[in-house]
Amino acid sequence: MKNEPLAWYIAGPLIGLIVPLLLLLKEKQFGISSSYRFLIAGFTKKIGYFNYNREQDAWQFYFVIGLILTGIYYGLYGYDMNALKTTKTNVVGFSGGDVMHYVSTSGFYDLSNWAIFLFGGVLIGFGSRYSNGCTAGHCIMGMSQFSLTSFIATIGFFIGGLIATYFIIPYLF
Amino acid sequence: MKKLLNIVSYILLGIYFATVLTEAQAISWYRIQEMFYFKSFHMYGLLGSAIATGALSIWIIKKFNIKSINHNPIEVKDKPFQWKANFGGGIIFGLGWGLTGACSAPLFISLGINWKIGILLLIGALAGTYLYGILKDKLPH
Repeated sequence: MKNEPLAWYIAGPLIGLIVPLLLLLKEKQFGISSSYRFLIAGFTKKIGYFNYNREQDAWQFYFVIGLILTGIYYGLYGYDMNALKTTKTNVVGFSGGDVMHYVSTSGFYDLSNWAIFLFGGVLIGFGSRYSNGCTAGHCIMGMSQFSLTSFIATIGFFIGGLIATYFIIPYLF
Repeated sequence: MKKLLNIVSYILLGIYFATVLTEAQAISWYRIQEMFYFKSFHMYGLLGSAIATGALSIWIIKKFNIKSINHNPIEVKDKPFQWKANFGGGIIFGLGWGLTGACSAPLFISLGINWKIGILLLIGALAGTYLYGILKDKLPH
């Protein structure tokens, strides 16, 4: 398995291209986390937030199916998320050592960390809906349109990420 | 048939996006940790050049009034400005991002790569969404 990531100056513009692709082909503004609302609304409409015209978000669900299929493909071809820990992220030459001393030899992606994934998932779902967008809708799409809303949300994402990194993760392992 | 084609086209766009994210390792907790430790430029380069590409594309579309494939004018709407929700929800989302190394797209990609981990993330995210639905009217927006 190849350990080096695709260089940022190639991958970044390719990621950004999703914005015009969706606008020009589909007349949609990029986002992903509305798919959570779409999924819940498929089960219950008793709560006001889920009693909405969910068809407007159906496309995000189809998009998500593409994400899952890609994951399955990589999984079948032996993509091991723990193997990435030894990667030198080439640009600055970070060895990964600072991060790794927290994590057991089995790596971060281990079922012994189930509570982190479950509780972290709750924060991801709750936070992205409360903030009305995630890294896709706010960081990439919203920042591309210079939206103040998305700028504020993105600052929030980084504050939360820094708190988790410096004040929570070191005490979890 | 037209509906099926529509669905397939979104799936293909999802595959495109996920392939780039996975090849760039943006789905990895290790890359996200490096980012928050300011130990690597990789993720900043990714996000920065993605935003620059998106912004330039929107500018070109507006400047030359480019129409969609169905000959409709392109509208780019701003999300409603609710700073308490955008900021507060953003911090909560960021905590989850920092803890798990996953945001929404990597969450679904992980579900495919390693379903045992992915299903925990997804159940959590759906529970969080449900919780937001219950508490929405009590939260500052």
